Amino acid sequence: MRLSLVVHVCGLVVRPFGLMFLAPLAMALAYGETHDAWGFGISAVITVAIGHWMRLAGGSSAEDAVERMRRVEGLAVVSLAWLLIAGFAAGPYLWAGMPPINAMFESMSGLTTTGATVLRDFSTFGRGLFFWRSMTQWLGGMGVIALFVAVLPRLAIGGRELFFAEAPGPDDEKVSPQIRRTASILWRLYAGLTLLEALALKTVGFTWFDAVCHAFTTLAAGGFSPNPQSIAGYQNPAAEWVIIVFMFLAGANFALQYRALARGGLRLLGRDEELRAYSGVVVMATIVLAIVLSGTMAIGENIRTSLFQVLSILTTTGYASVDFQLWNDQAKVVLLGLMFIGGCAGSASGGPKVVRHLVLARFTLQELRRTLHPRGVLPVKLAKRVVPESVLKGVIVFFLFYMLTFAVCAFIVVLFGADLVTGISATAATLGNVGPGFNMVGPMGNFADLHPVSRVVLTGAMWIGRLEVLTVLVVLRPEAWRSGQWAS
Amino acid sequence: MHIVIVGGGQIGSALARALSVEHEVFVIDDKPSVADTFATMDVTFIEGSGTNEEVLGRAETATCDFFIACTGFDEVNIVACAIANRHSSPDTICLVSRADFLGASQAGGLAPFGINRVLWPEAQLAEDIERIVTAPGAIDAEVFAGGVVRLLEYRLDAGSALLAAPLGGLHLPRGSLIVAVKRAGKLFVPRGTTQLEVGDKIIIMGTREAMREVEALVRPGQTQGRQQVTIIGGGDVGFQVAERLEKVDSVDVRIVERDIARGEMMAARLTRTLVLNGDGTDLEFLESENVGRSDVLVCVIDNDERNLLASLLGRQLGVPKIVTRVSRLGNLRLFERVGIDVALSARGAAVASILHQITGGTSRLLAVLEHGEARVIELTVSPNFVARELKRMGTPEDVIVAAILRGDRAIVPRGDDRVGPGDRILVFSTGAAGDRVLAYFSGTGG
Repeated sequence: MRLSLVVHVCGLVVRPFGLMFLAPLAMALAYGETHDAWGFGISAVITVAIGHWMRLAGGSSAEDAVERMRRVEGLAVVSLAWLLIAGFAAGPYLWAGMPPINAMFESMSGLTTTGATVLRDFSTFGRGLFFWRSMTQWLGGMGVIALFVAVLPRLAIGGRELFFAEAPGPDDEKVSPQIRRTASILWRLYAGLTLLEALALKTVGFTWFDAVCHAFTTLAAGGFSPNPQSIAGYQNPAAEWVIIVFMFLAGANFALQYRALARGGLRLLGRDEELRAYSGVVVMATIVLAIVLSGTMAIGENIRTSLFQVLSILTTTGYASVDFQLWNDQAKVVLLGLMFIGGCAGSASGGPKVVRHLVLARFTLQELRRTLHPRGVLPVKLAKRVVPESVLKGVIVFFLFYMLTFAVCAFIVVLFGADLVTGISATAATLGNVGPGFNMVGPMGNFADLHPVSRVVLTGAMWIGRLEVLTVLVVLRPEAWRSGQWAS
Repeated sequence: MHIVIVGGGQIGSALARALSVEHEVFVIDDKPSVADTFATMDVTFIEGSGTNEEVLGRAETATCDFFIACTGFDEVNIVACAIANRHSSPDTICLVSRADFLGASQAGGLAPFGINRVLWPEAQLAEDIERIVTAPGAIDAEVFAGGVVRLLEYRLDAGSALLAAPLGGLHLPRGSLIVAVKRAGKLFVPRGTTQLEVGDKIIIMGTREAMREVEALVRPGQTQGRQQVTIIGGGDVGFQVAERLEKVDSVDVRIVERDIARGEMMAARLTRTLVLNGDGTDLEFLESENVGRSDVLVCVIDNDERNLLASLLGRQLGVPKIVTRVSRLGNLRLFERVGIDVALSARGAAVASILHQITGGTSRLLAVLEHGEARVIELTVSPNFVARELKRMGTPEDVIVAAILRGDRAIVPRGDDRVGPGDRILVFSTGAAGDRVLAYFSGTGG
C-alpha cells in the first residue's frame, strides 16, 4: 500500500467536501442565524485547508499513481475518507456546543444515513443546522465519494476502486461502462427523485424547508427530521403516503430504476428477482404487522401506519409516523427482524441487503438438495445466472462478520449499562444504518442517554455498517498496513 | 441433376451413395483419408477445401442444381454455401450443429448468405425425442400440419383392447386410422380382416381430438401423472432435450453427464433440470440415484457402445421406456432387436430429409418411420387430377391417404370422401411405394 497515495486521494475527496458547507452557510445567513453561520464558515475553511494540505502532502509521485490505484488502497481511502469527512462534518455541531463524542455521533449518523440522534432538545438548533443534518444524509445516501468520482476529473479512472468500495451490495453492475458516467447518471437520478419528492411534499402541505429536508433524508434512506416527533409530528396522512412511495424507491436498486426509465421497461422491474423479493418482504411484513396491531387503530390507518413503518425500517430510513415504542412486543419483533434484512443492493439503504439473503437462502437450499443427490451439480443461481464461487463466499463471510460485529457491539453496549432490548436494538439499528431502536433509543428517545463508550462503539458500528463491514475490517488488518510504504 | 456435396463424412457419404445412381455427384473434402470411401462409388471426389473457389470451380459449382454443405464445421458450411451462391443460384442446403447461427428464430437467420435450407440434425432429433417422451406409452410420435394431425406408434401388450377383434370389428374413434402394422420385422398396411397380435407395433394417425381418445383406448387407466425422465449424456442432443422437457410442467428431468465442466455449463443454463455428475454406464451410480424409478430413460451419449450399455442397464433396472440415439446407421436395427424401445439416428433423419428434397419435387417429407420402411408425405394434388372418391382410387398398394387438409382443419377420409385437384393431402406409404404415389397424384390419376 502506498500511503502517500492514500493521503493524496483522501485530500482530493476532503477538499471539495469543504464546499458543501456553503449551502447551510447560506441558509443560516438567510435565516439570520449568525452564530451558526460562523460555524459553517470556519468548518469550510478548515476542511478545504486540510484537504488541500493532504493533497499536496502526497507529493508528485502520488499524483501520477492515482490512475493505478489498487484494491486495498481503494478500500483504505474509502474507509479513511468517510472517517475524516464525518469528523469535518461534525464541526458545526461542535461550534453549536455539542460535546465531541456527540458531535461525531450525530455527524456519522448523518453521513451513514442512519438517522440515530443524540439531540435532546431540538429547540437549541437553528434551521441552518437542521438543514446541514439532512444534507449530510443526502450526501451519504448515494455516496459522497461517488459524487466526487462523478464530478472530479482527477478521479475519472482511479475512482473505479473507490466507487465499488463504497457502493452498497455485492452487485457491481454499472449503467455505463465508464465509472464516471455511471456515478454521474446515478447521482442525477437521485437528485431528480429528491426534487420530485420535495415538490410532492410541498403540495401536500409541508413548508419548503420541511419538504426539502425530508426529501433529502427519504431518498437517502436516512431518517433525520427537523421535527422532534419525526413524521408523527405532522399528522399528515397524505405526506405519509408520499414518503411511503419515495422510501420504497430509495430502498430499490437505483441502477435498475435508471435502466427501467431509460429503456422504458416496466417488465425489467418485474423480472428483477431482488426487487420482487424486496416487494414480497414489504407486503408480507405489512400484513403481519397490521394483524399484530389490529384493534389498536382503524383499519385504514392501521394499514398506512404498518406499511409506513415496515418501509421505514426495511429501507433503514428510520422515520416514525407513530411512536412505535408504545407498540406491543410482537410488533417490535417484526421491526427488529426487518432491521436485519435491509433494502436492495445499489440502493441508498443499509443493512445486509435483500440480495444477500436471497443468495444465502438459495445456497442453503442447494446444500440440502446435495444431501439427496451427492453427485448433483447444483449451482446457486440469481436471475438465471450462476453466482460465482467468489461472490458466494463473499456473501457468507459478510454475514459472518456482520453478525460478529453485531454481537460484539451489542455486548459492549449492554455491558456499559443499557438494558438488553436497548443494547440489541441500538446495535442493530446503527450497524444496519436504520436509526431508532427500542426502549431508551426508541423513535422519540435518543442515544445521548447511553454510556459514552457505547456511543463511540455505535459510531464505529455505523461506519462499519455503511461501508459493508469488510471494507473497514480489511483495512483494520495490520497486514494491510505492514507492507505499507510512503511511496513506491 | 448436378449435385455438389461438401464434406465426405457420414452424411456426405450416405447422400453420395443414394444420389449417385441417378445423378451426377461431386464430393469435396480436404481429408485425403476419406477418398477411399468414395472410390467404390460412381462419384467424382475432389480433394480440397470447400471454401476455396478454385476447388469449387473444379466441381463445376457454377452449373450445379443442388449444393449441400455437410462438413463438421458450421462456419465452413455457411461460407461454402455463400461462395457457391455468388456464381449461380443452386438450391443450397447447409448443415449446422450449434444454435449460434440460428438464434431464436431457428430459420431465416442464414438467408442473407444465400442458404435456402438449414438442417440441424441434433435439434431435429431433440424435438423427436421430446415428442416421444411426452406421449405416454408410445414408441414414436409425430405431429403434422401445425398440430392438427398426429401420429402415434404403439407396441401392443397383452390385454390391449385392440386385440379383441379383427380391425373391421374394432370401434376406433372417428377420425383415426391404423395405417400400418409391423409384425416379425415386416411392415404392412392392414386390412379390415387383419387380426392384431401381442407384440405387434401399430402406427395410428388421426386428428388431434381423435388421437386423444386413441391414447385413452390403447393405454386405459394411464393417468397423466408426473413423469420422471432421466437423460444420460449431456451432449448437444441431451442438453436440448432437457431444455425442451423442462418446459413441460408435468415432467421432472434429470441429466447425467460425466464431464464436470460440461455439467456446470448445463446446470447454469437449465432451470428445473437436476444435473448429475457421473457415468451413465456405472450401475452403482445409476442405482444410487434410483434411475430404475424413471418413467423414461433417454440415452444420448456420443458413443454407440456406451449408449447401448447404458440402455441395457436401464432396462435391467426396470425403466419401462427407453429411447436411444444411434450414431452409426448400421446399428439401428441391432439396437431395437436387443430390446431398446426406440432407436433414433440424427444423421439418418437428416439424410432422408435431404434426399426427399432433391428427389421429391414439390411434396414435403414429413416423417420417416421405422428406419425408412415407411414415410409420411405432404403433397398437393395436381390440377390435372380427376376428382374421385377414395374407394374408387387406384392408388398403389401400401399407400393410404391419411388426411385431407382444408384450411386449418384436417379430415381423416373414409371411402366416400373425395380427393380433388388442388387438395393438400397427407399420404402414408411404405418405403417402396413412395415414388409411385408421387407419380400418381401429380398425374390425372388414371
